[in-house]
Amino acid sequence: MGMHGRPGRMLDRGEKAKLTRPVVVLVKALIGFLEGVTGLFVVATLISLVFAFTQIINPLVLSKGIDAFVTIIYDAEGIAYIQILGHFTTVTKGIIALTLTFAIFGIIGFFLNSISTRSLYKANAVLVDNIRTKLYSKLINSSMDYLKNEQSGNITARITSDTDQIATGIHLFTTIAIQMVVLVATFVLLLVQTSWQIILICVGSVPLALLISAILSRFGRRIILKIRRAFGIVSGKMAESFSGIAISKSFNREETLSRQMAVLNQENYKMAQKFGLMMNVTMPLISAIASITIALILWTGGLIDLTIGEIFLGVTLSGQFLRPITFLSLALPQIQTSLGSVDRIIDVMEAAPSIEDADDAVELKDDYSVSFENVSFAYVENNYVLKNIAFDVNDGEMIALVGETGAGKTTLASMLLTRFYDVQKGSIKVGGKDIREYTQESLRGAIGLIPQEPYLFSASVMDNIRYGKPDATEEQIHDISKLIGADVFIEALPDGYNTVVKEGGKQLSAGQRQMITIARTMLSDPKILILDEATSRLDAYSESLVQLAQRKLFENRTTFVIAHRLSTIHNAEKIVVLNHGKLEEIGSHDELMKKDGIYADLYNTYYSFQGLESISLDEIDTEEDEEEIEVSPMQLMRTNPEKFHKLVEAGKITPEMLEKMKKKAKEMGGAGMHGGTNPHK
Amino acid sequence: MATENIQHPIVTGKQLDVQLATEKYKSAAGWFWSGLIRYPGLMITSWVFILINSVLIVIPGILLGLGIDILRTDGFGSVFIYIILGIVGVALLTWGTSFISSYLWGLAGYRFERDIRQEFFDVVQEHSMAFHDQHDSGVLLSMGMNETNQIRFAYQPSLRYLINSLLSFILIAIYFFIRIPVGSNIIGVGNWEIGLGITFGFFIYLILAWRYAAKIGPVRRELATELGNVSSASQEAFRGIEVVRSFDNEDFEDEKFAVTSNRLAEKTKEEGYLSAFYWPALILIIITAVSFGIGLFWVSKGTLKFGQLTSMITLLLQLVRLTFMIPLRLLSLQAGLVNANRIWNVMTFDDPLIEPKDKIVADWSKDLAFDNVTFKYPGTERDVLNDVSFRIKPGSRVSLIGGPGSGKSTILKLLLRLYDPTNGSISLNSVKFKDMQTYDIREDVVLVEQDIFLFAASLKDNITFSKPDATDEEMRTAARRAQIDKFIESTPDGYETIIGERGVTLSGGQKQRVAIARALLANPKLLLLDDSTSAVDIKTEARLRAAMEELIKGRTSIIVTQRLSTLVESDLIIFLDKGRVVDIGSHQELIRRCPEYQSMLSLLPMGDEIIKAAMNQTDLSATGGKA
Repeated sequence: MGMHGRPGRMLDRGEKAKLTRPVVVLVKALIGFLEGVTGLFVVATLISLVFAFTQIINPLVLSKGIDAFVTIIYDAEGIAYIQILGHFTTVTKGIIALTLTFAIFGIIGFFLNSISTRSLYKANAVLVDNIRTKLYSKLINSSMDYLKNEQSGNITARITSDTDQIATGIHLFTTIAIQMVVLVATFVLLLVQTSWQIILICVGSVPLALLISAILSRFGRRIILKIRRAFGIVSGKMAESFSGIAISKSFNREETLSRQMAVLNQENYKMAQKFGLMMNVTMPLISAIASITIALILWTGGLIDLTIGEIFLGVTLSGQFLRPITFLSLALPQIQTSLGSVDRIIDVMEAAPSIEDADDAVELKDDYSVSFENVSFAYVENNYVLKNIAFDVNDGEMIALVGETGAGKTTLASMLLTRFYDVQKGSIKVGGKDIREYTQESLRGAIGLIPQEPYLFSASVMDNIRYGKPDATEEQIHDISKLIGADVFIEALPDGYNTVVKEGGKQLSAGQRQMITIARTMLSDPKILILDEATSRLDAYSESLVQLAQRKLFENRTTFVIAHRLSTIHNAEKIVVLNHGKLEEIGSHDELMKKDGIYADLYNTYYSFQGLESISLDEIDTEEDEEEIEVSPMQLMRTNPEKFHKLVEAGKITPEMLEKMKKKAKEMGGAGMHGGTNPHK
Repeated sequence: MATENIQHPIVTGKQLDVQLATEKYKSAAGWFWSGLIRYPGLMITSWVFILINSVLIVIPGILLGLGIDILRTDGFGSVFIYIILGIVGVALLTWGTSFISSYLWGLAGYRFERDIRQEFFDVVQEHSMAFHDQHDSGVLLSMGMNETNQIRFAYQPSLRYLINSLLSFILIAIYFFIRIPVGSNIIGVGNWEIGLGITFGFFIYLILAWRYAAKIGPVRRELATELGNVSSASQEAFRGIEVVRSFDNEDFEDEKFAVTSNRLAEKTKEEGYLSAFYWPALILIIITAVSFGIGLFWVSKGTLKFGQLTSMITLLLQLVRLTFMIPLRLLSLQAGLVNANRIWNVMTFDDPLIEPKDKIVADWSKDLAFDNVTFKYPGTERDVLNDVSFRIKPGSRVSLIGGPGSGKSTILKLLLRLYDPTNGSISLNSVKFKDMQTYDIREDVVLVEQDIFLFAASLKDNITFSKPDATDEEMRTAARRAQIDKFIESTPDGYETIIGERGVTLSGGQKQRVAIARALLANPKLLLLDDSTSAVDIKTEARLRAAMEELIKGRTSIIVTQRLSTLVESDLIIFLDKGRVVDIGSHQELIRRCPEYQSMLSLLPMGDEIIKAAMNQTDLSATGGKA
């Protein structure tokens, strides 16, 4: 099929995937995605098969033509005749007939091939598009739990590279199917037209072809894996150097990085060199074997007295064995990989259940009081991060959630109230009704969340703010920005509100990013507002601007504030103190100070230091509890297998993650190879 | 891993002492085609073997015809056996020459890739921040990795393949012209009419193939863009899934993605349509058919032997096999040229920051001054700083305050000479920054930014990044002063612990302290500190403050801060608004005379108390600092 079949590319695929479903199931699933183009696909495949047959007609025409001219008979008038397929005809007519037959079959073959290729492309494009959009729909609506466990990179891999793998797989499959038909037809033709000896020679070249592909697969794959690793390391280094360019410039370290780069680049080259050695030894060998086969056929032909046409046919068709077999043995593993992709995609389609609305779900309106009734929640089974939380919040009230990192503040407000996750025990009620009885649309429509990490889309600042309310006018967007004091810096951007946010906002400061997310949420005019450390990255002046706006912003909204800044907490009507997932104290600032419990303690040590008092390390015992070291699972697997296994058993590391890590560990190889290289080596 | 034979940029004490590619080559084309002459030894040997190889490739087809004729005339004898052995011998020879030519060519190609990647990297690193602001680092990365890879692909294997194919065309055309008697048999067709016809046909074929590739090339590139769009669309939505979900925009995103995905599908179809019909293939079919007819005619006349006819047809059929990848290779050659052009344009960025030729060493024990500095970021219209003037005495503590967009961080960047002022000047002891080499400025100025950037390397490498020749003792001292030593010692591999995805993940506070250690080791004359992030708990805050105090001590510092304590303790506060200086003075001065300062403080916790405290003080002596 046209211009395909680079062996290098076929070698370059992932590790062998173990299929969890029978091939039949996978193929059925694929057929399911063909909706709308099934007919096209079938027709295209049939045309391809017809094309395959035309491929052996022309060698036959040539062979028969040559043989026909071996014996030319002259009649009495001296007109030359030849015999083709038992019929006598004049030489001139014979030549015209043969030439035309050859040309016509050639042209027909060309059109059949082109049309089927074109149709298959179309069917393939539609198929992949179907899979991609369905997959995306499924994923974008699937549970937070699932999405959080999968990194966004992996999800994107499902959507892009897995679908691409499927396209490649189908393409290869059709190519193989055609080649196999050609192969069988060739075999039959040779058997009928020549002799068993020729067949033997042709078939004899097959083991050699298999041997070459075995070498290619075995060593080639290893080298390719190494190349990919080396390439990845270079790429990682380059990515890091570019994103850290300001740092290397400010420390004058461009040259150090350049040298590190040169070393990695050279390693990559060494791998490519090995690859070149292997490919250039094996690939020309196939041509050499083809030539030797020709010699053998000629020799045999002479020995057993074949006609010229028969020898010619043998020589021409012998090539039909070698290449398809090599191709087949290289392509089959790729098809296996493609099936692996189908398998993974079905995993996504079948798993990842989203939180569904109840059948009789109602709209949330009017009453925005919130009550937590004995709420317990665990991300991982039985590992409760919230235990028996109960408190009420009146409509329009402002609540501050206070507690150390990991106390459960974010989970309570940002994850559960928004119904990103459902509680396991107890219930959360809004307006006296369990939030599971509302439609998610109306619930989330009422809630505005400003998360810890400001997230901006690669769109204009205007569109980023408008994301909170798609039908907002420009004026409304200007107004809200002005209200929180963001208009000044937005207008100072190169294109003002139309400035396109690049790479998540690299041209903006963290504070500016946070201001934009605040504007976005406020634009949506939420009835319940959740601020999760929403002002943590603002400087003093910006903070004061937001403080100024706050009174207006919080008016008539039920507001939950998670903050470590005194400024925000002060204004709260109620302060909820969480500690290790438990509600420890609740009350106003004055009440809690009087109580002299955890809050008072916290206030006296930490919050007051946000003023002018100095803090010294002696006052707080920093030695007592060591800072927690967050070791990545990869590292843990290496250094502390025991703890690692505990995590696996506890379900914190899912089997899928484990699989991925093993793969990655393999890719990264021994301890000697690591990407962030030592500048002093 | 032998790395000794690679060409490092040579370090002569200071800056890169290599000629950048943009200085060495005149144009994109010059840069692209330099691949042919960079490794002359490899290239020349390869060319010689390519030539030999091309001749060898057509020999079996010719010998086949010869063999058939010998078989017809002399029968199965020793000459026939020699012919067969000849084919086998040539096959083995071809294997050898093909290996040598491709392998050497490949080496040259891979080296070329390595070199241009390094050249690109060096040039891009050398560009000023104006460049990096305007260019997406993802795009740069893709250029440095994938597009250089494609340029190599244009050479290896594409260009070699094309040269091989062209030679096959020429040699097979020659076969139709020549007529060499070998004993009673003949090699070649020896008819110039058919020779010309074939040559003409090949010529048309090559032109059509080139045009075909030129037509499909842009579509392929658009296809790549669409693929990138799908990938980034999905990545963005899932990275920001909380935002998507909290605004209930799943359907909106879903529809948006369907549009993007559909555009990709349409492009895929378009590309499929174009590539399915490779019209030039028809020419070869017709050439073969016509040659076959003419050949038969000559055979019937007795002017052509059967062997010659067989050779003729075999060679033409062989040509189809030898050239079926021509369109793909042409595409890749064209893509390589396009990529070289794109990269070249990026590399030859017209940098607004110009390095002075002569070295002037300024004296950091003298005043640092901004004189009527106005600044707009290169390529933009708006002034982010407007007529800013101030004077800083050596050793003083300066705080910068102002809202977002007031120009605080721009001032820090100008002080690192990441940019030059649009108007006005920055000077140290009356020496203008413009006249000082960036290298010298950055030796003495260190910025600790708000978003800390650390490398995915060991803690040691990160700390000593600012001073690679630091001793272990120096490094440990810096870590200790930055309050990060205990933490480091508690990690699995101590200072050798790798941070980042494959090692230990650091919290924000820990990162900040590593950055402080890094800055301490640099021992700068001027410290720039963007400290707008507040710590999340008391211990972190305490450690951070102690670390910062160590860093600020004994040097000039300019700090953007959210900490009131820092503000109050500073010698000089520069209050900015919309790129203009609102007021300059000490805390005491500002609190008395600057209404904006007062209103800011009053909105902050404890602010009222601070104002009261200041008002009660009767110290009127503080007058210094103002320019």
